[in-house]
Formats: sequence, C-alpha cells, structure tokens
Amino acid sequence: MPIMNNVYRQRAAEKPLVTLDDYRAAGGYTALPKALADVEPDDLQYVFMRSGLRGRGGAGFPMGKKASFLPKDSKKAKYVVCNADESEPGTFKDRDIMAFNPFQLLEGITLAGYAIGAERGYIYIRGEYEHQARVLDDAVRQARAAGLLGEGILKSTLNFDITVYRGAGAYICGEETALLESLEGKRGQPRLKPPFPAVAGLYQSPTLINNVETLAALPPIVENGADWYAALGPEKSPGSKVFSISGHVMRPGNYEIVLGETTLRELIFVHAGGLRPGRRVKAVWVGGSSVPVLGEGHLDTPLDYESIQAAGSALGSGGCIVMDDSGCIVRASLRLATFYRHESCGKCSPCREGTTWLEKLLMRMIAGEARMEDLEMMETLFGRISGKTLCPLAEGAVAPIKSALNMFRDDFVRVVENGSPRPEPMMAGA
Amino acid sequence: MADYAPVDLTAENLVSFELNGEKVQAPAGTMLVDACHALGVEVPIFCYEPRIGPPVGACRMCLVEVEGMRGLQTACSTPVQPDMVVRTTSELATQGQESVLELLLANHPLDCPVCDKGGECPLQDRTFRFGPGKSRFHESKRHFLKPVELSSRIALDRERCISCFRCVRFSQEVAQDGQLTMQERGGRSEIATFSGDAYEARFTGNIIDVCPVGALTSIPYRFVARPWDVTNTPSVCGLCPVGCNTELTLREGVVRRVSGRDEPNYAVEEGWLCDVGRWAYDSADHTGRLHRAVVRDANGARETNMADALSAATLVLQRADGPVGILLGPAATVEEAAIALDLAGGALRGAVVARLGIPAGPLAPLRATRRAEMGDIDDAQTVIVVGGDPSLQQPVVELRLRKAALRRGARIVTVGSRRTGLADVAEHVDAAPGALHAAISDIAARIAASAEPVVLWDEAELAAEPAAADALATAIAANGAARQIELGQDPNGAGLRALGIPATGLRDALAAGRLGALITVHADPRSAPGRDAWDAALGDVPVVSVATHVDATTDRATVVLPSLTLWEQEGTLVSMTGRAQRVRRGADGPDGAAPGWEILIALGHYLGAPPAYRTPGAAFAAAAKAHPGLGGLTYDDMGTLGAPLPPPAADHLAGDAGESVAAGSAGLALVAVRDVHAGRAAQGSEALLAFHAPAAARVSAATAERARLTDGATARISSPHGEATLPVRVAPGLPDDAVFVALGTPGAAPESLLGPDRGPVRVELRP
Amino acid sequence: MTADEIRAYLEPRRHEFADPRSLVMPALKYAQTTRGHLSREDLDAVAEATGFTPSFVESVASFYDRLYTQPVGNRVVSVCITLSCMLRGSDEVWDHLCEKEGIDHHHGGTSADGRITIQEAQCLGYCDKAPCIQVDADETLGPFTPDSAAALVDELRAAPDPEEYWR
Repeated sequence: MPIMNNVYRQRAAEKPLVTLDDYRAAGGYTALPKALADVEPDDLQYVFMRSGLRGRGGAGFPMGKKASFLPKDSKKAKYVVCNADESEPGTFKDRDIMAFNPFQLLEGITLAGYAIGAERGYIYIRGEYEHQARVLDDAVRQARAAGLLGEGILKSTLNFDITVYRGAGAYICGEETALLESLEGKRGQPRLKPPFPAVAGLYQSPTLINNVETLAALPPIVENGADWYAALGPEKSPGSKVFSISGHVMRPGNYEIVLGETTLRELIFVHAGGLRPGRRVKAVWVGGSSVPVLGEGHLDTPLDYESIQAAGSALGSGGCIVMDDSGCIVRASLRLATFYRHESCGKCSPCREGTTWLEKLLMRMIAGEARMEDLEMMETLFGRISGKTLCPLAEGAVAPIKSALNMFRDDFVRVVENGSPRPEPMMAGA
Repeated sequence: MADYAPVDLTAENLVSFELNGEKVQAPAGTMLVDACHALGVEVPIFCYEPRIGPPVGACRMCLVEVEGMRGLQTACSTPVQPDMVVRTTSELATQGQESVLELLLANHPLDCPVCDKGGECPLQDRTFRFGPGKSRFHESKRHFLKPVELSSRIALDRERCISCFRCVRFSQEVAQDGQLTMQERGGRSEIATFSGDAYEARFTGNIIDVCPVGALTSIPYRFVARPWDVTNTPSVCGLCPVGCNTELTLREGVVRRVSGRDEPNYAVEEGWLCDVGRWAYDSADHTGRLHRAVVRDANGARETNMADALSAATLVLQRADGPVGILLGPAATVEEAAIALDLAGGALRGAVVARLGIPAGPLAPLRATRRAEMGDIDDAQTVIVVGGDPSLQQPVVELRLRKAALRRGARIVTVGSRRTGLADVAEHVDAAPGALHAAISDIAARIAASAEPVVLWDEAELAAEPAAADALATAIAANGAARQIELGQDPNGAGLRALGIPATGLRDALAAGRLGALITVHADPRSAPGRDAWDAALGDVPVVSVATHVDATTDRATVVLPSLTLWEQEGTLVSMTGRAQRVRRGADGPDGAAPGWEILIALGHYLGAPPAYRTPGAAFAAAAKAHPGLGGLTYDDMGTLGAPLPPPAADHLAGDAGESVAAGSAGLALVAVRDVHAGRAAQGSEALLAFHAPAAARVSAATAERARLTDGATARISSPHGEATLPVRVAPGLPDDAVFVALGTPGAAPESLLGPDRGPVRVELRP
Repeated sequence: MTADEIRAYLEPRRHEFADPRSLVMPALKYAQTTRGHLSREDLDAVAEATGFTPSFVESVASFYDRLYTQPVGNRVVSVCITLSCMLRGSDEVWDHLCEKEGIDHHHGGTSADGRITIQEAQCLGYCDKAPCIQVDADETLGPFTPDSAAALVDELRAAPDPEEYWR
C-alpha cells in the first residue's frame, strides 16, 4: 500500500473495494491483526504520534497528540467518533474514501479504538451522503460477519463495534462539539470549551474525534510503520493528502498527493487539467471555503500546511476551488456569505447576526446599491465578528471575504460603483 | 433577575489575581463575571444566569482579556485562577463588548418607546454603558409577526429576542417542563412551543423575569405602565407557606405586577415564583371583594362605613352572652394574631383565641427535630418527601428538588399514595392513602442510611397519622445530620403557632354554648374542613367577621369589617421553614376597607381598652417581647430577606390535639389536598384562566367503575362528617379505593367530608 | 407513522447508544419516510417512541435542512448553489427549473401539482460534478445543464413515487 488512501487509484481502476475479499486482496486488514498481536494500545498511540499525521478535517492538529489527551484512568466508557460530516464547500474527499475504500476507514477506526481503549466507534456521516452511508452499513455488516468487528475481534480480547450515524443536513455538525451534540440526538450547536471532547465528549465521556481521511490513514501507518509515514513529505507536514479540486478547471476531482511535493500550480494545471483556453487563475480557495483566498501570484506555493500558511491561507480540508478571470470575486464572496449565513447555528450572537449582516451588505453591493463607505464598514464588521464567536464557523465566513477585499479591492470598488451582472458560467460540455 | 451568582469574598479559599490593574481576591473557581460583580466591576452579560445552570457562552457579551490566553475570553465561563491578569476595560475588551452589542442590536427593532421592558431593560442599559455610539446597520431588519401569545399570560416578541436561551433553559433545566425550545436555525431561530401550543405549566412566568430584553412580557402587564410611573416594593407571597419573596409593582395604588426579586432570597425561593403567586394578584379585585362594611340585623343586611360597622361590632361584642371567641385564618398575619391575643388579655378579657388549621399536638415532636431551609435542599444528596404533593401545595419546592436532582445528582424519594409532580425525577415508595405508617420503617432505614438527608413531610398527612409522625421524628433525630422541612398547609401556620395559638378549643367552646360571640380574622369556618361541625357549633352566635371577600361566614355574619389583602396590607408571615418575613404595603385597596391589624386595634379603642401601639411595627415589637416563640426579632432583624424564628420545643402546643374520630375501615380513603391552583386566588384570577377548573372528585378508573360512575358523572360522597356532591374525574396514576379532592375551590364543598380537626376519613361514593 | 412502528424500527438500534436521546434523529428520519415530511402527529409519535417531549423533538427537526416540518412535494430536488456549482452554472439551472415549475426564484418551493419541490442546497460534496443535483437522498448527480436538469424533473414526474421517502 504505497500511497495510503488509494482513493483515486481505485477510481481509475473503476473498482471500488466494497467487498471484504477485494479489500483483503488489495492488502487490507493486515494492520489490525499486526497491531492486536504485537502492539500494546499505548504503543499504538505512540505510533500515531511519531507518524506526524495531522488531522485532515481542516484544523491540522496532530492526531497522535489528540489521542494522548484522553485520560488514561477514566472509568467511563471511551468512544471513537469519525467525523464524516464532510460539508466544507469544495470538499469531497471523504465521500470517495467511504464509497471506494470503506474497509480502510473501518480498520482505521478499529485501530484507534484499540489504541484508546474504546469499545464503540461512531461514523457521523452527513445526511446527504446516504449512498456512502449504505456502503458503510454494508461494510460494517461484512466486517462483523468476519469477526473484524464485535466481540473478541480476530480472537483477541478486543471488543469493538461501529455505528453509522446519519446527520440530517447541517454544516455546523462538522464542528466536533456540534457533531457530538447532534450524535446525542440534539440540535447541532457547538459546546463551550473546555471541557474538550477528549475529557468530556460523547455522553460526557472521553472521546477521540477524527476526520475520515485521518482515520483511514492509520492502517498504512501501522502496516508500514510510523517512520515510513513521517518520511513522506516535509517534516512538519508528513504524509499524503487527498485534494478535491473544483470550479473552473477542466478535470475536477480528487487527487492524492504527497504533501510538499506538488505546487498549487501543478495541482491545477497538471492534475486537474488546467483552465479553459485563454483563461487565467483569478482566485483559489485552497483549503475549502473557510480559508483566505489566494491569487495567481501564489500558484507556485507547495501544498503543505506550512507553505500554504506562509502564503497567507490554510491547507484546511484540501477542498480547492478555482475561479478563473471570468468570475466575479464579489459574487463569489456573496455566495460564501450566503453559505455561512445559512449554516450558522444561531447559538452565538456575533455569528448569527454577523453572517446575516455580511450577506445583506454584499447583496447590496452586487445590486449596485452600496456606497464606498460600505467597504470600510465591511472591514470593521470583520473585526466585529472575528475573535468573538463560540466556534470557528464565523471565522470561516470572515477569512475568505476579508482576504478577497484585501486582495481584490479594485474589484470591490468597481462593483460598488456599478454593481455586478451575472457572469457567464462554465457550463457542462464547455 | 439575579444575573450574577452571590460570591463570598470572605471565604477561606481566596486566590489573588489582577483585575484592571488592581490586586484583588476571590474564591478559587468563582466564575470571573461573578467575581468581578462582587468586586464592583461590571462585566455585561445576557445569557449568563447562574440560577438556570452552567454557562453556555452564547451571547458573547462578557468578553474580557486574560493575559496569556489568546484573544478574548467569556468571563461567564472562565474561572478565577491564581495570579491571572484580567482586563475588562482594555481596548481589546471594550472592542469586543462593543462589537457584540452592535451585532445584537443589528436586527433588534429598537422599539424601546413602545416596549414594556423599556426603562428596566438590560439590553437598553448595557447598550448605553458598553455599546457603540450608533448603529451602522442599514440593511432591512429581520421581521416576525409580533407579538405572538406564548400563552394567555405571556407575549413573545421574536423581533426583540436576542436568542440568549435563558427562557428555554429555564423550561428545560429548571422547571423541566420540556415545553419551550429553540426552533429553526441561525438567524431564523425562535423560541417556541410544540406546534405553537400554549406554554402551560406551573412556573412559566419566570421566563419573563429572566428575559434580558423585551421579548417576553406579561400580557396582563402589557402597556400598563412605564418603569418611571411605578414603584416597586419587596414583599412576600401569602398564598402558601413557602413564603416566596416577591416584588410588587405598583402604579396609582394598584398592584400591576408581581415578580421575583432582583436580589432573590436564596434561602427561600431563589427568585422563582409559581404562576399562581405571580399572577393571582388580580384576584384581590375579583367578584366578591368587600368594598364596604356590612351590618346585619332583623331587617336584613345593609352596607355602611367602617366607623358605623365598628360601633355595631362593639355592641355585638359588649352584649355577648359569655366570652368571645377569636378565630384566625390560615393567612392571618403575626401582627393580627398578636393584637387578637392582646384583645383577649384586655378589652375582650377571657376571649378564646384559636386558628383555623390542623392541631399541632401530634406534630410537636416532629417539628422539634433539626430544621432545614429551602436552600439546604441544594446540597442534599438524599431528599425524602413523605406524603403530600409539593408541586400542587408548595409549588416552588418542586424547583428546588428538580435542581438537586438534575444539577447535584441528588436522590429524590417520594413516599405516598400517588405519583406526584416530581414523578419524573423521583423514586416512588407507595403507601396506601392514610397508611404512611406502613412505609415508615422503609423511610427510617433510608434516613439512617443517608449522609445528610433532608426530609420533607406533609403537615396534613402526618397529622392524620400521629404514630407515623412520631416514628419519623425518631428517625430524623437518630441521624444527627438529618434535617426536615415541613410541607405546611397554611401561609402563616408557623407564625400563629409561634404565638402559641392552638387549632382546637374554640369550636368545642362554641358547641358547648360557652361563647357569646365570635370574631373571625381572615377565617371562614363555614367553608373550612369540618364546615358542618362549624355550622353546628356556631348556631346563632353572632359573628364579627374581618374579611377581604364575601364568603360563607361573612354571608351570615352580624358585622362584616372589610379588610385589605396581603397585596395591600403590612404584616409578618412565618414560612413553613420558620422564617419570619415581612409583607409590605402594596396596593391601596378599596376605600372602604382597612388593614386587618388596624381594624383590630380600632376594635380595642371602641371597646374602651386600646392596645398600647398604633402601628403593625409596634404591635410586632410588643408581640416579640411577650411571646418567646418570636425569638425577640425586630423588623430590622428581618430586613428584606426575613430571619428564622427559634425552633419550637418538643412540647410546644403538645396539648393542641383534636378530637379523634375513627375513620373506620369501610369505604374509600379520602385524600384532601390544599392545591394552590384550585384555591380562591387562582380560581378568581382572570390572568390564570388556564387553571380554572370546577372542583371534582378524582378517582382511578377501577374505583369509578366499582361505584358505577363514569368520567364527568355527578357523585354523591358521604363521610361521617358530612356530604358533598361533585363531578367525578377519572385520572391516571391514582390508587384504587381512594377519592382525591382539592380544598379551597370556591363554590365546592368537599370540606364537608372532613373533620374540623382533620384526621383520616373514609367516604362512600355513589351515583 | 405510529409510535409503535417507530419503536419497532429503533429497537435493534437501541443498544448502540448509551443515551436514548441519540435515537431521536434516526426516529425523525424514519418517521419522515411515510409522508415525506414530519406532521404534528409524526413528531408526537417520535416523542412518544423516544421518551422526549414533542417540543424537543420539533426543535431538533427544525434545526436540520433535511428534516421537513412543512409539507413538501413527492420528490424533493436539491440544486446545489454553493461556490463551485455557481461557477459551473447552478444559477442558470436553478432559474430554469423554477421557471419551468412556476416556483418563486428567491425561495424555491413546490410545483402547483404538489409533485416536485425545488430547493436550494448548500454544498452537497459533488463539486467535481458541478452543477449537481440531489433528488431526495439518492446519490447526487451531475453535471447538469438547464435542459438536462429539466429532463430530470420530467423523468421524476413521470416515475412512480418511492415506497419510502428517505430525504
């Protein structure tokens, strides 16, 4: 298993690994028996830590470190929760890991459960991914039947089972505490932290929450060793990462690359087939929509956490949205403002009111009803929202719009003066 | 609203930290907002309400700067730590507070001039102090149809709502009625009930008090007054013996609103009121209010003025053929009772004074055991409720028990003949009606096995089973850390007993023909339990009745002296936990009426032997000297939060024992409950229309069937004491072979079925 | 749907959760399969089957986009309008479908015959197939042109309704 998630290789082969036999034939379920036979749970945590694997959901927090935060002496049940609420605009990597390689995820969750001493894992999957949820349901059934989930896994003392839990349409449930609330059957509104989920998570019990891609990376790490993984890519951003690329590119899709080895330009122009003839890159939201926008000048940035951060943005979820020079940055900003307004849970006031305000302000600009003062007003509005909220959702709303105003101020000025007619989209078949 | 939790700055576990450049101290673990408040630094808040539960960090109003922590922190959820450096007024903190206020106001309608909350609105106040100078929100605001009626008592203006979640958290976590929730999401969020049903529960009005904006307002108070038109007076509710501290809002001499106090009494109600206590004030003016005095003679009744009626009363009393009786009602104040006792020692020497209530003798040992206050329930690990149903009789007790269960994980055990209003949080030990004694060894074992149990016991049910009361007293005394709270029946029962006034003696004297006249003070023996016996005892004895409303006694009294109500007159009530608290003068009341204490003092003047005092304060001071039960308290001692009386001795009123009438074993057990929701105040209140229900006999389906009765049919019920006719209600959760009735519903007469000294009763039920 | 039917559905799942509240969401999704939305009776039934108050159940239902507390059409067509889809013509698809079905462009809604609900969706996670459309909770399809989207709606109108509405 040279490349860990194997997502697009499977896609290219048009053969999803949805039967246990196929997954085993591809080298699957070798890590779990190895771990159960040879590795103590604490040592397994250490393997995660040494691999340098960082959370692939967006925040990039070291996975092993997160696992180490769970109390060792707690008498409460512990849980692994897999965050499969993939809803970040431009991001569809987890979708394919689940649809094409579901067992690798189950194996990864089971490894995590073994490492922290949990007996149950949950996959919280967004409600819109009903197809993927059914694939997972089926995979769980197969794994149970084969003794890979349930009591005494592989004749060891490990008892562990997985429940696939469907969300019902709320972006905020990708935020880990909102996800836990939702998984507890409530409205998906983020909790005040501390306590953190590692201490008081699901049902107030110690809980490890990780993204699909993170957990799916565990089997190859266990199989090939932490050193192997840590040696992939740069020291601080080791490993491979699936990038979802969409927008004004010729071959949108998921591309798995080793971090640090590929530039943004290569992702767009080599992997994704570039732009339409005669078009130039205008704006790139490289890590999903909740990150500062990058421009043509940033195309030679290597794709890894540090380099992207140095360029002024964030790697985020790896959902890369590309807009060429036919697009209007103000319209794009409005569309994102609408997204965050719609998805704000309403619990904390700066987000609830701030996202509403941002959207209305941008709508006026598009309609040509704004004045120049509104641009300054919008700048202060960012400061009104930023740093005030309960969870990062509103920061995600501010980041792309604030950066757009900084980088493309001339465009905003022109739109304030003239409004913005709807540009011609890049239609299917074009 | 209380807003901030009380902080003890003299506690032992103080830690030092820096607040706005000054070295300060607060107890470790105190939330920063509370510590700041106690130290005189206001950190603005909206969603924080420590009485409701842990912080939620939703409004983000309390942002402050804490050195070493990235960005701003919510002071409501940041505990004080040693050596932390906090800035609440730095540029960063100020920018944070301004930001949140500007955003909160963005969609707020700013309709303060037409908002009931205007002038007493935390949003308004904090905007002036912490907000940006002006709003820059030029977009169209969010619109909702406004206002909607959440219930017949509460209006909801969703445009003004800032989604602080206080009301829904109250409903979910304090009252635990589960009815009020946040619905929809984001900017469309709104507080709502299921499918827009009315929010009907026992404690709904508290959401008005906790609302920090004008979103939730009292419908009876809508557009009635502006804060600068009114005066607010701290008082005490006189509808049940809990003694909830209230605030009366008065305008032009009329009570317009009753609310929980801004500074709650944590030892009593913690700022929460039941809906009856909050809204029944309008019942003072309902049909039957006595506006003028009445004198009755051979020619019939005539209305007259107070002076004329006092002269007539004086004649009645002077011409009485024998000593006079003075009967004090369950809510007669300490002052009224003390003056009555003074009359009995002076102008009406030899008068027999008694209270209308349950004889104290059988409960004397139990009352002498270690007492708890309501606040002590908070820290109890085990609470045992023996008999009764506090949700109906002493409502606010329910909230304390729920808090103990939800927040502290306390174990709540109810013992009795039916599931109570606490059924969802309590473990229930079944005991047949009138058979608490059968469960007493179980209860005693639980008391013995618990660390610091608090035992709540029902006055009526334990008085009916003296052996059980004794056994309970023994069990409580045996566990040195156990404490008890009496779930009393009478709003001032404890106060009247503290003056040594028995419940027995007077009726016997009347029946024996030894009394020549009777003065009733807020007492209606002709409607009370044992009313038939009272009627028989009263015969043709002339009655002088000091009363607020027309009742069965005033209807036949020779002289009726119209009194002010407890929303209108001063006095002192002693709560069931023995806390003496002052009722303050509120509304003016009818021109023709006077305070009860004043009427009694005037009687002394008319009779030629006036007491030595002219004011209730002086009357109380004299009483405190004369009656050791008052512990030498003064009005100053009581202040605004009251003060505890000394506990009664084990033999106090031991001789106050009623006539014991064998209940017999035939027939069905009668359970009579003094339900505040069924009483005159609630049933006479227009605001409480939702609680209006005709009196009924509630039975199990099997019991109804055996009596060949169906739901709604009229039943004839008879007991050794009398008969009553009531509609039957088949209700779930009731034991078989028992009939449940509520006492005090105007126009109904289940009181006929009871003995005047209470005690167990069995009845027959027939179509 | 009745509380008993919901209980029967939940029973095999009950042991998977330490707190029965976690059953509220599966119960809501299941209760919705009969009518395609959650009526007052459905919400009541979920409350009864799970042991939580109807108000709580409704507050949960109203939070999530894919739980419908108001009636919707026999088929719900979700047109993704978020950034990637917008760049690839989702607004044109949206406008065309709304016009075709006589539905308000600003809010979406249900066709006059009650068969089709057209609603805006936020990013469906099929940006590689932008502009994409999801029908109920079927697998999301794309890319669409205004014409191919209209053809999809025509097909849906002609096709028999699903036996259960998973949305």
